[in-house]
Amino acid sequence: MKIWTSEHVFDHPWETVTTAAMQKYPNPMNPSVIGVDVLDRHVDPSGKLHSHRLLSTEWGMPSIVKSLIGACRTKTYVQEHSVVDPVEKTMELKSSNISFTNLVSVDERLIYKPHPQEPEKTILTQEAIISVKGVSVSSYLEGLMENTISSNANKGREALEWVISKLNAEIEEFTASARGSMRTSMAAAAFVEK
Amino acid sequence: MNSVGEACTELKREYDQCFNRWFAEKFLKGENAGDPCGQLFKRYQLCVQKAIKEKDIPIEGLEFMGPSKGKAENAS
Repeated sequence: MKIWTSEHVFDHPWETVTTAAMQKYPNPMNPSVIGVDVLDRHVDPSGKLHSHRLLSTEWGMPSIVKSLIGACRTKTYVQEHSVVDPVEKTMELKSSNISFTNLVSVDERLIYKPHPQEPEKTILTQEAIISVKGVSVSSYLEGLMENTISSNANKGREALEWVISKLNAEIEEFTASARGSMRTSMAAAAFVEK
Repeated sequence: MNSVGEACTELKREYDQCFNRWFAEKFLKGENAGDPCGQLFKRYQLCVQKAIKEKDIPIEGLEFMGPSKGKAENAS
Protein backbone atom coordinates (compact mmCIF):
# COMPACT_ATOMS: atom_id res chain seq x y z
CA MET A 1 0.00 0.00 0.00
CA LYS A 2 1.40 3.39 -0.89
CA ILE A 3 0.08 6.86 -0.60
CA TRP A 4 1.13 9.55 -3.02
CA THR A 5 0.16 13.18 -2.50
CA SER A 6 0.74 16.41 -4.33
CA GLU A 7 -0.31 20.05 -4.40
CA HIS A 8 -0.51 22.33 -7.42
CA VAL A 9 -1.59 25.92 -8.06
CA PHE A 10 -3.47 26.91 -11.23
CA ASP A 11 -3.19 30.53 -12.25
CA HIS A 12 -6.94 30.68 -12.91
CA PRO A 13 -9.97 31.32 -10.73
CA TRP A 14 -11.79 28.38 -9.17
CA GLU A 15 -14.87 28.73 -11.41
CA THR A 16 -12.71 28.46 -14.55
CA VAL A 17 -10.82 25.41 -13.28
CA THR A 18 -14.00 23.65 -12.12
CA THR A 19 -15.76 24.31 -15.44
CA ALA A 20 -12.72 22.92 -17.27
CA ALA A 21 -12.55 19.89 -14.97
CA MET A 22 -16.14 18.98 -15.87
CA GLN A 23 -15.16 19.04 -19.56
CA LYS A 24 -11.73 17.54 -19.15
CA TYR A 25 -12.09 14.86 -21.84
CA PRO A 26 -11.16 14.59 -24.61
CA ASN A 27 -7.78 16.23 -24.44
CA PRO A 28 -4.46 15.45 -26.11
CA MET A 29 -2.70 14.61 -22.83
CA ASN A 30 -5.02 11.73 -21.98
CA PRO A 31 -5.50 9.92 -25.30
CA SER A 32 -6.25 6.65 -23.54
CA VAL A 33 -9.56 7.98 -22.21
CA ILE A 34 -11.93 7.10 -25.01
CA GLY A 35 -15.31 7.33 -23.35
CA VAL A 36 -16.95 9.30 -20.57
CA ASP A 37 -20.52 8.74 -19.41
CA VAL A 38 -22.58 10.28 -16.67
CA LEU A 39 -24.31 7.54 -14.71
CA ASP A 40 -26.04 9.79 -12.23
CA ARG A 41 -26.21 13.47 -11.49
CA HIS A 42 -28.23 15.37 -8.94
CA VAL A 43 -28.16 18.39 -6.67
CA ASP A 44 -28.45 17.36 -3.03
CA PRO A 45 -30.63 19.19 -0.45
CA SER A 46 -27.65 21.34 0.59
CA GLY A 47 -27.16 22.56 -2.99
CA LYS A 48 -24.11 20.50 -3.88
CA LEU A 49 -23.91 18.89 -7.33
CA HIS A 50 -23.07 15.18 -7.31
CA SER A 51 -21.95 13.41 -10.47
CA HIS A 52 -21.17 9.75 -10.94
CA ARG A 53 -19.23 9.08 -14.11
CA LEU A 54 -17.81 6.10 -15.92
CA LEU A 55 -14.55 6.49 -17.78
CA SER A 56 -13.57 3.98 -20.45
CA THR A 57 -9.90 3.73 -21.21
CA GLU A 58 -8.06 1.93 -23.97
CA TRP A 59 -4.38 1.42 -23.47
CA GLY A 60 -3.39 0.92 -27.12
CA MET A 61 -2.34 -2.68 -26.90
CA PRO A 62 -0.66 -4.11 -29.97
CA SER A 63 -3.23 -5.48 -32.39
CA ILE A 64 -1.88 -9.01 -32.05
CA VAL A 65 -2.73 -8.97 -28.35
CA LYS A 66 -6.17 -7.61 -29.17
CA SER A 67 -6.79 -10.36 -31.67
CA LEU A 68 -5.73 -12.98 -29.11
CA ILE A 69 -7.78 -11.78 -26.17
CA GLY A 70 -10.55 -10.00 -28.04
CA ALA A 71 -10.85 -6.26 -28.65
CA CYS A 72 -13.57 -5.75 -26.00
CA ARG A 73 -11.35 -6.98 -23.22
CA THR A 74 -8.64 -4.36 -23.72
CA LYS A 75 -10.86 -1.64 -22.27
CA THR A 76 -10.56 -0.79 -18.61
CA TYR A 77 -13.04 1.18 -16.60
CA VAL A 78 -12.83 3.76 -13.85
CA GLN A 79 -15.67 5.18 -11.84
CA GLU A 80 -15.61 8.74 -10.61
CA HIS A 81 -17.72 10.59 -8.05
CA SER A 82 -17.50 14.35 -7.87
CA VAL A 83 -19.13 16.90 -5.59
CA VAL A 84 -19.21 20.61 -6.44
CA ASP A 85 -20.16 23.11 -3.73
CA PRO A 86 -20.77 26.48 -5.41
CA VAL A 87 -21.11 28.31 -2.08
CA GLU A 88 -17.97 27.02 -0.33
CA LYS A 89 -16.20 26.84 -3.72
CA THR A 90 -14.88 23.32 -3.48
CA MET A 91 -14.83 20.54 -6.00
CA GLU A 92 -13.95 17.10 -4.74
CA LEU A 93 -13.37 14.21 -7.08
CA LYS A 94 -12.83 10.58 -6.07
CA SER A 95 -12.09 7.86 -8.55
CA SER A 96 -11.30 4.17 -8.41
CA ASN A 97 -10.74 1.44 -10.97
CA ILE A 98 -13.51 -1.06 -11.47
CA SER A 99 -11.52 -3.30 -13.80
CA PHE A 100 -8.87 -5.64 -12.44
CA THR A 101 -9.96 -5.00 -8.87
CA ASN A 102 -8.73 -8.48 -7.98
CA LEU A 103 -5.21 -7.39 -8.95
CA VAL A 104 -4.84 -3.75 -8.06
CA SER A 105 -6.75 -0.87 -6.52
CA VAL A 106 -6.02 2.68 -7.49
CA ASP A 107 -8.05 5.20 -5.54
CA GLU A 108 -7.56 8.86 -6.24
CA ARG A 109 -8.90 11.93 -4.51
CA LEU A 110 -8.64 15.49 -5.85
CA ILE A 111 -9.83 18.68 -4.21
CA TYR A 112 -9.96 22.03 -6.02
CA LYS A 113 -10.33 25.17 -3.92
CA PRO A 114 -9.60 28.88 -4.33
CA HIS A 115 -6.05 29.59 -3.17
CA PRO A 116 -6.29 30.80 0.47
CA GLN A 117 -3.85 33.69 -0.08
CA GLU A 118 -4.51 34.46 -3.76
CA PRO A 119 -8.24 34.13 -4.46
CA GLU A 120 -7.81 34.53 -8.24
CA LYS A 121 -5.87 31.26 -8.26
CA THR A 122 -6.91 27.70 -7.55
CA ILE A 123 -5.14 25.13 -5.43
CA LEU A 124 -5.42 21.44 -6.21
CA THR A 125 -4.51 18.80 -3.65
CA GLN A 126 -4.30 15.25 -4.91
CA GLU A 127 -3.71 11.90 -3.33
CA ALA A 128 -3.59 8.36 -4.61
CA ILE A 129 -3.70 5.12 -2.70
CA ILE A 130 -2.45 2.13 -4.58
CA SER A 131 -2.56 -1.43 -3.44
CA VAL A 132 -1.41 -4.45 -5.35
CA LYS A 133 -2.97 -7.67 -4.15
CA GLY A 134 -1.31 -10.94 -3.32
CA VAL A 135 1.90 -10.38 -5.22
CA SER A 136 5.24 -10.72 -3.43
CA VAL A 137 6.96 -7.98 -5.44
CA SER A 138 4.13 -5.65 -4.50
CA SER A 139 6.25 -2.76 -3.30
CA TYR A 140 8.25 -2.74 -6.57
CA LEU A 141 5.06 -2.75 -8.62
CA GLU A 142 3.55 -0.12 -6.37
CA GLY A 143 6.67 2.00 -6.94
CA LEU A 144 6.21 1.67 -10.72
CA MET A 145 2.60 2.65 -10.46
CA GLU A 146 3.48 5.61 -8.32
CA ASN A 147 5.73 7.00 -11.08
CA THR A 148 2.95 6.49 -13.57
CA ILE A 149 0.47 8.23 -11.30
CA SER A 150 2.83 11.14 -10.78
CA SER A 151 3.43 11.61 -14.50
CA ASN A 152 -0.28 11.16 -15.18
CA ALA A 153 -1.01 13.83 -12.60
CA ASN A 154 1.23 16.23 -14.51
CA LYS A 155 -0.57 15.32 -17.72
CA GLY A 156 -3.88 15.85 -15.95
CA ARG A 157 -2.88 19.36 -14.93
CA GLU A 158 -1.60 20.13 -18.44
CA ALA A 159 -4.89 18.77 -19.72
CA LEU A 160 -6.85 21.25 -17.60
CA GLU A 161 -4.67 24.13 -18.82
CA TRP A 162 -5.38 22.98 -22.38
CA VAL A 163 -9.15 22.86 -21.79
CA ILE A 164 -9.07 26.31 -20.14
CA SER A 165 -7.24 27.83 -23.17
CA LYS A 166 -9.74 26.20 -25.50
CA LEU A 167 -12.72 27.56 -23.55
CA ASN A 168 -11.16 31.06 -23.41
CA ALA A 169 -10.48 30.99 -27.16
CA GLU A 170 -14.11 30.02 -27.81
CA ILE A 171 -15.32 32.91 -25.63
CA GLU A 172 -13.01 35.38 -27.44
CA GLU A 173 -14.18 34.18 -30.83
CA PHE A 174 -17.81 34.50 -29.79
CA THR A 175 -17.23 38.01 -28.37
CA ALA A 176 -15.37 39.11 -31.51
CA SER A 177 -18.11 37.91 -33.83
CA ALA A 178 -20.80 39.44 -31.59
CA ARG A 179 -18.89 42.74 -31.61
CA GLY A 180 -18.60 42.49 -35.40
CA SER A 181 -22.30 41.97 -35.91
CA MET A 182 -23.14 44.74 -33.42
CA ARG A 183 -20.95 47.17 -35.38
CA THR A 184 -22.67 46.18 -38.61
CA SER A 185 -26.15 46.73 -37.13
CA MET A 186 -25.11 50.06 -35.54
CA ALA A 187 -23.67 51.23 -38.85
CA ALA A 188 -26.86 50.17 -40.63
CA ALA A 189 -28.99 51.99 -38.02
CA ALA A 190 -26.87 55.16 -38.34
CA PHE A 191 -27.19 55.00 -42.13
CA VAL A 192 -30.97 54.60 -41.92
CA GLU A 193 -31.22 57.55 -39.47
CA LYS A 194 -29.44 59.79 -41.95
CA MET B 1 -15.88 12.39 -26.59
CA ASN B 2 -17.67 9.14 -27.13
CA SER B 3 -20.01 7.22 -24.93
CA VAL B 4 -19.35 3.69 -23.71
CA GLY B 5 -22.26 2.73 -25.94
CA GLU B 6 -21.56 3.76 -29.51
CA ALA B 7 -25.26 4.40 -30.16
CA CYS B 8 -25.44 6.80 -27.20
CA THR B 9 -22.77 9.25 -28.34
CA GLU B 10 -25.13 11.70 -30.03
CA LEU B 11 -27.51 11.71 -27.05
CA LYS B 12 -24.52 12.22 -24.78
CA ARG B 13 -23.31 15.22 -26.82
CA GLU B 14 -26.71 16.92 -26.66
CA TYR B 15 -26.92 16.38 -22.92
CA ASP B 16 -23.31 17.51 -22.32
CA GLN B 17 -23.89 20.75 -24.23
CA CYS B 18 -26.96 21.51 -22.14
CA PHE B 19 -25.27 20.58 -18.87
CA ASN B 20 -22.02 22.51 -19.51
CA ARG B 21 -23.97 25.68 -20.27
CA TRP B 22 -26.17 25.32 -17.17
CA PHE B 23 -23.19 24.48 -14.96
CA ALA B 24 -21.08 27.52 -15.92
CA GLU B 25 -23.85 30.09 -16.39
CA LYS B 26 -26.27 29.12 -13.63
CA PHE B 27 -25.06 26.59 -11.11
CA LEU B 28 -21.66 28.13 -10.34
CA LYS B 29 -23.26 31.57 -10.07
CA GLY B 30 -25.60 30.34 -7.37
CA GLU B 31 -28.69 30.21 -9.56
CA ASN B 32 -30.07 26.79 -8.98
CA ALA B 33 -33.60 27.37 -10.16
CA GLY B 34 -33.86 24.00 -11.80
CA ASP B 35 -32.32 21.57 -14.22
CA PRO B 36 -33.22 22.35 -17.84
CA CYS B 37 -31.49 19.18 -19.02
CA GLY B 38 -33.74 16.59 -17.34
CA GLN B 39 -35.37 15.25 -20.50
CA LEU B 40 -32.10 15.00 -22.41
CA PHE B 41 -30.52 13.21 -19.46
CA LYS B 42 -33.31 10.63 -19.24
CA ARG B 43 -33.01 9.72 -22.92
CA TYR B 44 -29.24 9.51 -22.68
CA GLN B 45 -29.42 7.39 -19.50
CA LEU B 46 -31.74 4.77 -20.98
CA CYS B 47 -29.22 4.24 -23.75
CA VAL B 48 -26.21 4.07 -21.42
CA GLN B 49 -27.82 1.65 -18.97
CA LYS B 50 -28.52 -0.72 -21.85
CA ALA B 51 -24.94 -0.47 -23.12
CA ILE B 52 -23.49 -1.12 -19.66
CA LYS B 53 -25.60 -4.26 -19.20
CA GLU B 54 -24.68 -5.48 -22.67
CA LYS B 55 -20.98 -4.97 -22.09
CA ASP B 56 -21.21 -6.39 -18.58
CA ILE B 57 -19.34 -3.50 -17.00
CA PRO B 58 -19.07 -4.06 -13.23
CA ILE B 59 -20.78 -0.96 -11.86
CA GLU B 60 -21.82 -1.36 -8.25
CA GLY B 61 -23.80 0.56 -5.74
CA LEU B 62 -25.85 2.67 -8.10
CA GLU B 63 -29.61 2.37 -7.81
CA PHE B 64 -30.41 1.96 -11.47
CA MET B 65 -28.54 -1.32 -11.70
CA GLY B 66 -31.02 -2.93 -9.32
CA PRO B 67 -30.48 -5.50 -6.56
CA SER B 68 -30.11 -8.40 -8.98
CA LYS B 69 -26.62 -7.38 -10.04
CA GLY B 70 -24.31 -9.29 -7.73
CA LYS B 71 -20.92 -8.18 -6.47
CA ALA B 72 -18.69 -8.41 -9.55
CA GLU B 73 -15.05 -8.44 -8.60
CA ASN B 74 -13.68 -10.44 -11.48
CA ALA B 75 -11.30 -8.91 -13.99
CA SER B 76 -12.95 -7.67 -17.15
